[in-house]
Parts: sequence; C-alpha cells; structure tokens
Amino acid sequence: MDIPAADELEWLESNSLLPEFEDDEEDYIVVEEDERIAGLREADRDRDAASENEIHKKRGRSEDKDDDGVDDEERGVKRREIDEGEDEDWLRYSPPPKEAAPAADETTTGSDEEKIISRFVSDIEGECVPITAPNGDRVYAKISSREVDEAQRRKIPRDKSANGLLQEPIHALINGVEQEVLNKALQESSGSPGQTKHTAIPVVTEQLWVDKYAPNSFTELLSDEQTNREVLLWLKQWDPCVFGSKIRATTDDVFSALRRHSSAHHQMLADNKFFSKQHATSSINQRHKHSNFTEREYNNLSGVSELRSKTQTLSCHPEQKVLLLCGPPGLGKTTLAHVAAKHCGYCVVEINASDERSSSTIESKILDVVQMNSVMANSKPKCLVIDEIDGALSEGKGAVEVVLKMVAAERKSSSEKEDFPLETQPGKVPLKKGKQRNTATLLRPIICICNDLYAPALRSLRQVAKVHIFVQPTTSRVVNRLKYICKKEGFKTSSVALSALAEFTECDIRSCLNTLQFLNKKKETLNFLELDSQVVGQKDMSRSAFDVWKEIFQKRKSKRRRNSMSDSSGRGDFEFLYSIISNRGEYELTMDGIHENFLRLSYHDPMMQKTVRCLDTIGVSDTLLKYIIRTQQMSFYAYQPPAVISIRNLIAQFEKPNIEWPKSLQKCRAMLLERKDAMRIWHNKISPSISRHLSVEYLVEDLISRLLHILSPPTLRPVALHLLTEREKNDLSQLVDTMVSYCITYKVSKPKTYQRIYAYGPVSDAPELSFDPTINEFVRFQDYHSDHFELSVAMKQVLVHEVEKRRILRESIGKSINPSEGSNSAVQAFPSAEKKLTVDTTKYSAAGDRSQLKVALNPGQNTANIPLNSSSKTIKSVQENGTSKRPIRTSSSFFDRFRKGSNKGSGNPGESLQKAATEERDSRPLLFKYNEGFTNAVKRPVKIRELLL
Amino acid sequence: MLWVDKYRPRTLDKVIVHDDIASNLKKLVSEQDCPHLLFYGPPGSGKKTLIMALLKQMFGPGAEKVKMENKAWKIDAGSRTIELELTTLSSTHHVELNPSDAGFQDRYIVQEIIKEMAKNRPIDTKGKKGFKVLVLNEVDKLSREAQHSLRRTMEKYSASCRLILCCNSSSKVTEAVRSRCLNIRVNAPTNDQIVKVLEFIGKKEGLQLPAGFAARIANHSNRSLRRAVLAFETCKVQQYPFTVDQGIPPLDWEQYVSEIASDIINEQSPKRLFLVRGKLYELLVNCIPPQIILKKLLSELLKKLDSELKHEICHWAAYYEHRMCLGQKAIFHIEAFVAKFMSIYKGFLIATFG
Repeated sequence: MDIPAADELEWLESNSLLPEFEDDEEDYIVVEEDERIAGLREADRDRDAASENEIHKKRGRSEDKDDDGVDDEERGVKRREIDEGEDEDWLRYSPPPKEAAPAADETTTGSDEEKIISRFVSDIEGECVPITAPNGDRVYAKISSREVDEAQRRKIPRDKSANGLLQEPIHALINGVEQEVLNKALQESSGSPGQTKHTAIPVVTEQLWVDKYAPNSFTELLSDEQTNREVLLWLKQWDPCVFGSKIRATTDDVFSALRRHSSAHHQMLADNKFFSKQHATSSINQRHKHSNFTEREYNNLSGVSELRSKTQTLSCHPEQKVLLLCGPPGLGKTTLAHVAAKHCGYCVVEINASDERSSSTIESKILDVVQMNSVMANSKPKCLVIDEIDGALSEGKGAVEVVLKMVAAERKSSSEKEDFPLETQPGKVPLKKGKQRNTATLLRPIICICNDLYAPALRSLRQVAKVHIFVQPTTSRVVNRLKYICKKEGFKTSSVALSALAEFTECDIRSCLNTLQFLNKKKETLNFLELDSQVVGQKDMSRSAFDVWKEIFQKRKSKRRRNSMSDSSGRGDFEFLYSIISNRGEYELTMDGIHENFLRLSYHDPMMQKTVRCLDTIGVSDTLLKYIIRTQQMSFYAYQPPAVISIRNLIAQFEKPNIEWPKSLQKCRAMLLERKDAMRIWHNKISPSISRHLSVEYLVEDLISRLLHILSPPTLRPVALHLLTEREKNDLSQLVDTMVSYCITYKVSKPKTYQRIYAYGPVSDAPELSFDPTINEFVRFQDYHSDHFELSVAMKQVLVHEVEKRRILRESIGKSINPSEGSNSAVQAFPSAEKKLTVDTTKYSAAGDRSQLKVALNPGQNTANIPLNSSSKTIKSVQENGTSKRPIRTSSSFFDRFRKGSNKGSGNPGESLQKAATEERDSRPLLFKYNEGFTNAVKRPVKIRELLL
Repeated sequence: MLWVDKYRPRTLDKVIVHDDIASNLKKLVSEQDCPHLLFYGPPGSGKKTLIMALLKQMFGPGAEKVKMENKAWKIDAGSRTIELELTTLSSTHHVELNPSDAGFQDRYIVQEIIKEMAKNRPIDTKGKKGFKVLVLNEVDKLSREAQHSLRRTMEKYSASCRLILCCNSSSKVTEAVRSRCLNIRVNAPTNDQIVKVLEFIGKKEGLQLPAGFAARIANHSNRSLRRAVLAFETCKVQQYPFTVDQGIPPLDWEQYVSEIASDIINEQSPKRLFLVRGKLYELLVNCIPPQIILKKLLSELLKKLDSELKHEICHWAAYYEHRMCLGQKAIFHIEAFVAKFMSIYKGFLIATFG
C-alpha cells in the first residue's frame, strides 16, 4: 500500500475549490472511471473507495470553506497567502518530511472562465480528453485537476480503510508532528514566517519540470500531429512482423475500449505521475496501453489497416525499416519515439551518445534487441531507439554502418522471403530464418534520432530510412502546455509572456520549461520585455547550412523585430545573424554557398556594383580564412560573420531563394586533383630525360594542344603502309617515335554519348580508340569545339601496333646494351639499333599490309571479323616472315622478352606442345588468343580446332 | 620525339639563344668551383636546358644518366610524424627535386630531406668534383618558412653541396636566399633569336621555310621558345610544304579564354557572370593556373577595350591577382575581376552611349 504523497494531499485541498458547474460532466467521468476500475480490480474495494470519495469530497469542501472565503478573482492575487495557510493545514498529515516542501510551491488555480467541453481541441486550453457519448457524438472535455483529485481521493480513503482505526497511518502522523515541531523551531529561530518558507525549501529534491511534465501518452505530445501520426503508422506497420498476427486484435478491442473508457487513461496518467514506478504493475501497463488508444488513432485505424493490407502482400514489415527523426533540439523527438513505441506495445531500448557506440558493440546490442526474445516475464518486443545518431562522427558512423548493413542484408533476402508462407508460423518464421542464415536481419523497428539531417555520417542512412523532419509546433500549442504547467506549479504568468518565451526559444519546450523553472526558483515573474536576459542558458542553436543561407538570402518580414523592441531594428538583426552564422561555424562552407547561389538571386543591380561588392567581400573573407589557417590565429574568425552580413545587406530579397549546395567548387577541386593525378602519372611514365624538362603546368599550357595536332597529322593517309611514300613513312616513323617517347598510345574506350561521324562511315559500331593518357580531355571545354583533326580508327589501330612494337624494341635495346641509358639517348647512341628497327618495320609492314589490304577489301567489316580463310593466309605470311627473321631474332634478347611477354605463348600451329593439348581438348571449345605477329587480321580469339583444319 | 626535345642543346657549346650566359657558365665550371646558382626567367626561356647543359659540363655524360625515384619520407616533426612522398630525379652526381610539390609541408622537405641530401658527401669520389649538386625547381613557390630554412642549409653544407635553384620570378625568393646565390637572369628569347632557332631546326629537318614564316611563328609564341618550336612542328604536321599565309593553330585554352572575353564584352549582368563562372571552372579544372587565366583574360579584354579604360582595368587586374595570391580560392578573385570589369565597362558604355 502506498502512502499518499504530500502533493496529492495538496491537490486534494486546492482542488476542492473547483466551481460547481463542472459537476455534471465530472459525474459522468467518475462513473465511467469507476466502472473501468471495477472491471479490472477488486470490485468491492473500489466501490468502497467511490462511496468514501463522496464523503471525503464533502468534508474537504467544508474545510476549505472555513479556510478561505476568498472568491475566485481574488484568489490569484492572494494565492501566496493561501498557500501558506494551506501549508500549515495539510502539513499535519503530510507523511514524509522530505516531500513536504515542494508542495509549498504547488498550488493550482482553478480555471473558471475556460471552456470545458467543445467539439474542437483548439478551443480548450490545457489538456483535454476525447469523450464519446453513447450515441456516438464526440467531444473534447477539458481535464481539470478535479479528475486527478478524484483519483487521489479514492486512494486516500482506501488507505484509511486498509489501516483501520486511524484516519492516517501512524508513521505519517508522527512524521507530521515532527515536521510541525521542526517548522516551529525554524520559525522561531528565523523570525519572519516568509523566511521560514524559504529555509524550508532547501530540503527539496525537486524534479526537473522537464521530466515531471514529460508527456506520457500519445495525446499529450506537443509535436506536430502529422508527424506523430506518421511515426505511429510506421510503427504499426511492424505489427505483422513483430506481433505475428495479421491484424492484431486491436481494432475491435480498441473500438470498444475507446467507447467505454475514453478517459480512463487520464486517470492512469495521474497514477503514473503521482505514484512511484514500482506501483505500476504489469496489469496497469496493459491497461495503460489499451486505454491510450485515443481519438487520433481511432481516426488512423482505418488508414493503418489499409496500409497494412497493402504491405502485407509484399512483406511483413514496412518498406523502410529505419525511421529517422530529425529536427532541432527540444521539439520532443526522443519523447515521441519513446511514447510512440510504448504506445504500440514495445519495450524501448535506447542507445544514446553516452553509450559506447563502436560498431561491434552496437551490432551486438542491436542483435540482442532485434532477434532475442526477452526471458523476462513481460516479453514485450523491443524497439530500438538510437538517439543522437549524428552526434559523434566517428563513432556514430559505426552505428549507422551496422544499421545499414542490416537493412542491406534484409534487402537481399527479401525476395526469397516472399515465398515463405507467413501464416503458418506468424512472427516466428522470420526470426528463425534470420538465425539460420546468420545474417543480421532487421526484425524490430529502429528509430534513429538526429539533429542535423545533413550530417555527413548520415548520408547513406538517409537513403534507406524513412525520414521525418520535425517542424516547430505551433506556438499556441506550446503556450497552452506551458500555461498548464505553470498553473500546476503555481507560477504566475501571462500568456503574452509565455508566447513571447516560446517564440524566443523557437518553441523549444525544454528550454522554455527550464527557464520557467529557473524563474520560479528565483521567485521572479516572466517579464516578456526582458526575455533575452531572462532566458537562461540560451542554447547554441546550430542550424543547418541551408538555414543559414536562407537567412542570408531572404529578408525576414520584420517578425524578429518584435523581440528586440528596445534595440534599433538593424542592430537586432545583426546580432541575430551574427549568432546564427557564428554558431554554424564552417565559414568556408557558408561562403561557398553564398558564392554558389548569390548570382541567381534577382536583386536589382543594373551597374553590377552590388555584385562587385559582394565578390569583393567574398574575396576578403577568403583571404582572411587563408591568413587564419596559415597563422593559426583563430580569433580572427570573429570577423567572418560580418562579411556575410554585409553581403546579406546588399542582396537579401523577400522572395524565397532557391538554394543549392555548393557543389561546383568541390567538384572543380576534385576534378582538378583527378586531372593533376592523371597528369602526374603520365609525367612519371615519360622517360626522365624528357620529363625533367616538363612540369604539369607546362604540359597543359603549351604542350597538349600542340601535341594533339602533332599526333594526328591530317597528312597521314589511311592507306596500307607499303603504299606510303618514303616521306610519309618517315613522318609515320617520327610520329610513332613521338608517341613512344611521350608514352602515348591509343586504347579502346567506350563510345561517348555524343556521336561522331567518321569520314569513312561504315564502321559505326567499331570500338572507339582514344588516347591512353586521356590528353584530349584537357582541351575539351564546355561549349567549345576544338578543331583538332582526328585520325581514322584504322589508322589508330596501325599506330597502336607500331607504338607497341617500337616500345618493346626500345626497351630491349635499352636493357641489352646499356641498361642505365635513357631511351632518349638510346636512339642517338645506337644508330645500329635504329637501323635494325627500320628493317623490322619494313618487314612487318609487309605483313601488316596484307591485313590492311583486307580491310580495304571488306570495308563493311571490322578487322576482327575477317573470314577465317583470309586470316589463316595471313598467319602463313606471318609465319614466313617469322622464319625469315629467325636468325635476327635469336641473336637479340628482345625476342626472348617478347615471348615471355606474350601470355599464351606462340601461336604457331607447329608447336608440338600445343598440338598435344589440342588433341586432348579438341572437343572442348578452347579459345586461343593469337599474340604473335603484328597484324590486325589474326589478333582475335581463334579456336585451335579452326587452326588445325 | 618532339622537336622541342630533339633539338634541345645538350652541351653549353651548342646553346644558340643564351650563348653569352652559356659561355659565362662554362668559364665558371672550368675554374673548378661553382657558387650556388639561381636561374630565373619566364617560362620557355631555357632555364632548365641551361641547367642540364651545365651539369653535363660539370660532370660529363654521367649527369645524363638519370633515373626517377618516388620515395616516401617519414619526418619526425615534434609530436607527429609526417609522411611525404617526393619524386626525385637523380644521377650519381646530382639530385633534382621539386620541393613545392609538398604544398604547405614544403618546410619539412627543406629542413629534413634537403639537409639530409646535402649533408652526405657524394659516395662516388673518383669524379673530379668534390661536391654534388641539388637542383631545386620552382623555388618561388616555396613558402616563406621553407625559404628561411633553406638559407642556413646553403651556408652550412656548402662544402659538399651546391644548390641550383630555378624559378620564374626572383621576387618571390627571399633576399637572403638570393644574396647567397649567383643570380642568373635568363631572359625570354627575342623574336630574332627564336627565328634563328627555328631556322636552325628547319635546316636540320631539311625543310623549306618561306620568308617571314618563322617570324610569324615567333610573333605568335609570346617569346617562349618552347611554344615557338611546338607551333613550328604543329604547322609542319598540318601542312607541308609551308605556305606564307599558313595559319598557326591556336592553343585551345587561349582560344577558350578569348571566347570568355567576348562573352564578357557582349553582356554585363549577374546572369552572364554566372555563365562565365562555369567557363572559368572549366579552365581551372583542366589544370590551367589561375594566374595565367587572369593574365590571358586581361590581354584578351584589353584588345577589345577603349584606350581610356585600359589603365583602370590593368590596375584592377593587378589588384585581384594580388588578392588571388593572398586567398585560397582563385575562382572568387577571377570572378571578382570579371565583375569589376563588367561594372566599369557597363558604366563606360552608359556614359558614352547614354
């Protein structure tokens, strides 16, 4: 049995002053409540309680009449006195001395002129409860403290009846007496009664208002209804997966429950609030859960079931398995997550920034939550709430990764999962499957909470999660709630001041409550003119970068001025912007955003003067940033926001700006690095004797344009090599030489999106050959057409082979004769090698010519598609060439190298080893790549069988 | 091989353009000792060619046997270790490196790596020289701190090591470093000199040069020998035999800049500025240094400008170039220049034409 707490008793006292006209309504509720309780608890005891209730009520009222004859208007003024009077009164039977004092502060004024029953929630101030009449009409009734009162009153008599003779438990009486003695002693010692009260206060262990008045049920939530609803809906979608049954037997239950006990949960609420947690048995929890079904959901039920039926055909869980709530602090994200989860019958497991968040611990924790069934008696399924997921970047990432992994694992298996009949073993099936596969799949809802949706760590999560962005609740809602709390706490305020407070803190109810409590402690009243100074510990609101840019680009409609009435409006704006910008930090990003977007604003600037000034300011900020970084003088950061503000003053418009993330600068930087890297790689490939004279700048500035011209001479005829004149051959040789020494070749690339028309037309689907270090990229500017001539594909192919050949030759010469000599000097130093080279080229060109001729013969075909017989012919010719050159080959190391380099060995059909192999695997489709011989015709995969024919 | 490389003089005797410098250098080397050297001059004037020839003169053909090394260095800098990757080009007698590659960490290269290299006497002492040579490129891009650490190194290890510094502008090299070196100014070759070189190449290649053609190429080359030779070769590839009025293909990025300039002249508005910004980004992405963009842009704009504005525009170009050096993001400053130009030009247009 509990001991009634002091505050309850106080409630009892103060609330008995309630006006009479609420009684009708009250009775109705009381009857309902009693019925409800009768159903669930021992009936007789409750009956007793109810009957004694009445008696007690009367008694209380008569007492109160003795206490004060003050009428309602005056009561507010004289409340303090009454408090004190009451203080003395109830202290007699207040049990634990510890809790005695807080009550001193808590008084409640009955709200008399307020509306009590209405069809609309908005008409009612403070808390309300939906009520369904037997004929189906629904109204909202204001919850007056009277109801709470009822509950307490019922308790107290029950205590009495349980204890028997004494009206109060003996120890309570003793405590009371002791307290009284103590008080008296204190009073004597300190003299004035006013001070007594103050000295009594320090004994208090007062709860934070924020915790004390945290919403316990869904209806109490202050956040945006739409969001609330959607969160709940999302949680509900998990029902088939978590609770098994297709449609949890909620609907009927709930409907009936709603009809019968529409207000019951408020009683429970009172219970929760005033009694310790241990008191709440599981049965109460159960009841709580059911009774929480209120109007809002009642409306939603149809939607839920609809959606459920939709999703059920696909899979047993919602499509997005992670919910991401984001929004500025103090709007009640965490509260919503907890309340909603509790509401749907989950046991909430929270991981927040204070816990360890490395990926391994998170993973095990999530697995625990998601896949284990609790051994405990109340085996409610768990719901994971990961709070402040954006908090610590490196560690938070671990959590994000784990969640992502699970979602991804689920994705993969989802297709298979569909086949499983869900009805056979509802709920258990997916669970077991998850264990079998040993992949961590997600079977329980996960709610992630963050402040900054655009935190880099969340980038990937954003794509898979269902994102809800919290918006500020309407001021009136917040003010109503604040008013209610103030009333409960006996704190004198005006709604004007409260709304000003709410606005000032941007509807951050946590901050509001803290401020109020602080003021209450200080015995100050909320003065809305001095709000700035009164709001204690104004938090550093770090807004998203987009918000900052929006503030910069968009003029406010003088809404803010109201807050800073004493200032000149300009100064207020300045301070406001300054705080926003400096709280955001990241000045560089801010500036980038401004730079990216400001030209798109439609500010009036016929002479471009504003633009010039803006860019100048941006430039100043840029130089300042560099200076700060160079010299590490961080204090100069203070001069960044003014630069931004001066830009704002120049260009801010009333219309809504279309802001884009500053991508182009970053893109530019990334691409620049990429290009530079490509350059450097190329630079390193070029032999040092040449590259020592080059630098990246020089390459781009002077060389590339010219090189492109030089590498694709329009004078080079796309004909067979042997048809070239001596001079042309010379040119070609020089070209190849250049390409080799600059390490440029052609390679097959994917055809670009834009179509190029080749002069020789028919080969349209041929693979496009482009420069290997993609040097032509460097002159490909946007909206610019260079007049570089491009060689035909056939010519390029010839060049590729020539270059390859020359390269190998050079390497071998360099290796065999003078390894340390650079290839550049090799050409000059070894004329003999050069001569040999020309010999080779002429001989090879004979072979190449044939293939070239064939290309000419079959212009419609790619070189790769040359008929077999012709290719075999060329093979023979190559063979002949090869045999004729045999002596030269064996003499130099080059050819050994060459053989080694060819990965499949020589393709000569005469090789005995291959013959054996082919005999064995004749039946199998063995592809053989022909590598030797410098001809286009043969260089394609050929089956050995075909070669043997 | 391109003609630029093919006809690069390899010894001091063969130098055509700066024969006076070459002969001085030869004298210097013949006296067995050599001070620290600082070569400076505009790009394409032949600094590196001179340095290479000088090295060959000093060490003989061994200096030409170079190999490239890409080495990672670990440097202890107080509490943390810094890892740097540096590409060096070295022969047995000299090491060539580009310390400004390390960006803002160039100080460590100078302090640690160069010191390390300078400290060690050359292992191979059978050569006649008792010192080795460090060639540092792009010294003007070194940060001030790095230059300061360089000056002590230059004095301390002068017994075993000579530094050859190479840069475009000596104004960015601190006084202290400059005074420790023999400064050698390598001028941009005059047009006549370029013509001489082109004719030399033409003769070697056996080409017929029409009269005035070489001069035209030289005019186009902006007094950069490198450009001239490249342009010459391009022309040869495009069309041979040469004709007198043969076109010299422009450099692509210069062409693009002149397109931007005409964009700017045609319309002055924030919208146009936005378009120009996109094009400037294109240039920057393709590794064109912002200073060069600004310079080229200015010269293109000046071509189309009324003479009374030229002075002012030049002033602003210099102003924004200065700011660009102070700042980090070149695009801001180039764009600011463009905006300034637009503003001035528009004001001018309105003032003149109403």
